[in-house]
Amino acid sequence: MNGAVSRLAYRLILRLHPATFRHEFASEMLWIFDQEQQPGAAAHLFFDGTVSLLRQRFRSQNGHGQLSIASGVMITGPGIGPLRFFQAALALSLLWFGLMFLKLPNPLNASVRWADRMPCYTVTLQAPSHAEVVLQSAP
Amino acid sequence: MPAQTVKNPPLSSATLHILLALAGGNLHGYGIIKEVARNSDGHYRLGPGTLYDNLKKLIDSGLVADVPTTSSTRKAALAKEDDRRFFTLTREGKDVLAREVDRLQGVVTKARARLQEARTGRA
Repeated sequence: MNGAVSRLAYRLILRLHPATFRHEFASEMLWIFDQEQQPGAAAHLFFDGTVSLLRQRFRSQNGHGQLSIASGVMITGPGIGPLRFFQAALALSLLWFGLMFLKLPNPLNASVRWADRMPCYTVTLQAPSHAEVVLQSAP
Repeated sequence: MPAQTVKNPPLSSATLHILLALAGGNLHGYGIIKEVARNSDGHYRLGPGTLYDNLKKLIDSGLVADVPTTSSTRKAALAKEDDRRFFTLTREGKDVLAREVDRLQGVVTKARARLQEARTGRA
């Protein structure tokens, strides 16, 4: 992915953040994206941006009480790994925004848990049939 | 036991690293990221999403504040860079950081004592 395309993709991720967070921090985040030139930085930034998108979206819709997301992004931690988590997060985001775009009622109860002091995260997708998909990294 | 918040140690890794970075002086977001990487010898990489999420919580809690535009530090920085937001550690932020460092010091002291006991017992 060349620089212009990756910048455009990152801007799209920022654009999908809730308006309050976006107005306050998106320009700063994009500036940091432009500054980061070290090898492997783009993958880290996309992973962080996607997690941030999920975190802010869930928080804005569910409030702080139902969501436990904190701490930093430890992309080198064990478990399902950043690439798999990124794929899952991207799929979840596309599904979520697809439903919003089509103005369909959301049939999924989704939650993300981010452990405070260990590189551990859990994404839970719960359908009305109580089928549950859990992606969890090992601490 | 008090509920864990950004004001009550133990702090999360990201919060601790951000407060530590700001303890050295006022910084903008990218400056914090670079300082965190330097302080951790490159082992802890903070992304901008994580950074600003934590900064927002720290600002809401009164531990970190925006640097006013009139600040001499900021004016000097503006000579080199665009109009970026700079952040500073408040007095309360310094107190919380000091409490966390004391707590970690206690953990290290206990850990050393345990290791010493284990070595003595083995010998």
